[in-house]
Amino acid sequence: MINDNPIIKITNASKSFGELKALDNVSLEIAQGEKVVIIGPSGSGKSTLLRAINQLETIDSGQLIVDGHNVCDLDEDINAIRMELGMVFQSFNLFPHKSVLDNLTLAPRKLRKIPREEAESYAMELLAKVDIQEKAHQYPAQLSGGQKQRVAIARALAMNPKIMLFDEPTSALDPEMIGEVLDVMVKLAKEGMTMVVVTHEMGFAKEVADRVVFMDHGQILEVGTPIHFFENPEHPRLQKFMDQIL
Amino acid sequence: MAEEKKKVRIDVGDGAAIPSKSDKGLFSAWLLSFFLAVGALLLLLFYPDPEVSDKYQEILVFLADGIVITFQVTLSSIAIAIVIGFFTGLGRLSKIWIINLIASTYVEVVRGIPLLVQLFYLYYAIGEFIKMPDMVAAIMAMSICYGAYMGEVFRAGIDSIDQGQTEAARSLGFNGAQTMMYVILPQAWRTILPPVGNEFIALLKDTSLVSILGVADLLRRGREYASTSFDYFQTYTLVAIIYLIITLILSKLVSKMEERLGQHDQR
Ligand SMILES: Nc1ncnc2c1ncn2[C@@H]1O[C@H](COP(=O)(O)OP(=O)(O)OP(=O)(O)O)[C@@H](O)[C@H]1O
Ligand SMILES: [Mg+2]
Repeated sequence: MINDNPIIKITNASKSFGELKALDNVSLEIAQGEKVVIIGPSGSGKSTLLRAINQLETIDSGQLIVDGHNVCDLDEDINAIRMELGMVFQSFNLFPHKSVLDNLTLAPRKLRKIPREEAESYAMELLAKVDIQEKAHQYPAQLSGGQKQRVAIARALAMNPKIMLFDEPTSALDPEMIGEVLDVMVKLAKEGMTMVVVTHEMGFAKEVADRVVFMDHGQILEVGTPIHFFENPEHPRLQKFMDQIL
Repeated sequence: MAEEKKKVRIDVGDGAAIPSKSDKGLFSAWLLSFFLAVGALLLLLFYPDPEVSDKYQEILVFLADGIVITFQVTLSSIAIAIVIGFFTGLGRLSKIWIINLIASTYVEVVRGIPLLVQLFYLYYAIGEFIKMPDMVAAIMAMSICYGAYMGEVFRAGIDSIDQGQTEAARSLGFNGAQTMMYVILPQAWRTILPPVGNEFIALLKDTSLVSILGVADLLRRGREYASTSFDYFQTYTLVAIIYLIITLILSKLVSKMEERLGQHDQR
C-alpha cells in the first residue's frame, strides 16, 4: 500500500499514564480506503492509540494528522473533526433513553441540522443495511448484544464519517452473535470505508485487512499483511502472541 | 455495560417522609395525618359555636397573604437553587482543580453554617454595606444555602451516568454542553428529580425562618395576628395545620412522581 496521501498520519506519538508508557513513539500512516487491524496483548496500548485518533485521549508528544487536520492543534475544531470519525465501542454505549431510531438521528439532526424526516429515512436505510430495521422503535435495553452493536455501527455511520474506528467491537458479545457484527463490518469494508479495527478476530483480519499492526508495551513491533502475520511473523513476541490467539 | 449501570437513589434527608406504596406503614401514616389535618382544619373553621369558627375564619383570611408569600419565596429560591446546584454539581465533577476547589469549598462552607445564621449574615452583616429589600435577601440566602445541597444532588445524578455515554456523544461530534443537554441530563434527571422534590419540601418549611427578617410569610403573618389579638393558641394551631397540609400534599406529589419515574425504567 502506497501512502503518498494518508488520511491518518501518526508521527512519533507518545502518551504516559503516570510512569506507564501507554504509547511509546508510535508512527503509523493509513491511506484512504485502507483497512488496518490492530492486535496485541492486553494493556499494549491499542485502545489508547485508537482513542488518540479522535482525541478521546490526548497525546503528550508527537503529531497526529487526520484528514488534513492537526487534531492536537487547539485551534482546530475537534468536534468538526470527530464528525468525520465514527467510533464503535466494545460496550456499545447506545443512548438508553432514546429509541433505536433516535439513537441514529440525534447527531445528524443536532449537529448537521438535517430535518427530522430526512434524518429518519436515512436512518432506516442504515438500519436495513445492518439488518435490524424491525427494531427501529424499540429501546436499546430490548436488544441483544449483537443487535446493540449493529445499531451502534449504524449510529456512527449516520454522520457519514470518512473513517470508522472500532475498539474490540465483538469482545463483549456471546460467541453466537460475533458473526452478525463481523458480517456488517465486512460489508462496510467492501464498500470502501477507511477502517481501523482493534480486534483479535483473525478471520476478519484475513478477509478484509490490508495491513495488520502488532502492538506491545505501547510500541508498534510489526506491520504486515495478514498472510505475513499467519505465515512468517518475525518478532518473537508476535510469534508467541499468534500462538496464543490461534 | 452502559445501559445496565445500576440506578442510584439519592437520599438527602431533611425533607418530609415521602410515602410510597411499598412502604405500608408510612403510607397509612400519611393518610392518617392528612385526614387528621384536614379534619381539624374543617372542624375549626366550621365549629358549631360561631364565636369559635368566626375567630378561625378571621385568622385564616389574615394568613392568606402569608401563604402566597411563602410560596413565592419557596418557588423563587428553588428555581435559583437548581441553577446554582447544576453548576456546583458540574464544578464538583470538574477535572480543572481550581473550579473543583471553588465548588467544593462553597458546599463545605454553606453546609457548615446554620441557615438562620446565613440569613442573619446576608441581611444584617452584608446589609450594612449593601441594602437590599427583605424579600431579596431572603430569597438570596435560601438559594445560596439550598444551592449547595442541590449541588450534591446534581453531582451524584450526573456521576451516576456511565462515562461511555459521554465518550459516545463526544465521538459523534457533540461538544461538552450538547453532551450534557442531549445525553447526560435526560438520563440523570430520573435520579435528580426525586431528591429535588424532597429539597423543595424542606425548603418550604425552612422559609418560616425568613419571618425573622420581616418578610410577611405565613409564620410572620401569624405572629402579627397573635401579637395584636393575643390569640396565640388559635393562631399557631392554624399556622401549623396549614404547613402540615401543604407539605403532606407536596410529599404525596413527590412520591407519585417517583412512582412514574420508576415505571419508565421498566421499558
Ligand atoms: N485513563 C487511564 N488511566 C491510567 N492508565 C490507563 C488509562 N487508560 C489506559 N491506561 C493504561 O494504559 C495501558 C494501555 O491501555 P490500553 O487500554 O490502550 O490497552 P489495550 O491494548 O487496549 O488493552 P486491552 O486489550 O485490555 O483493551 C494499560 O496498561 C492501561 O492500564
Ligand atoms: Mg482496549
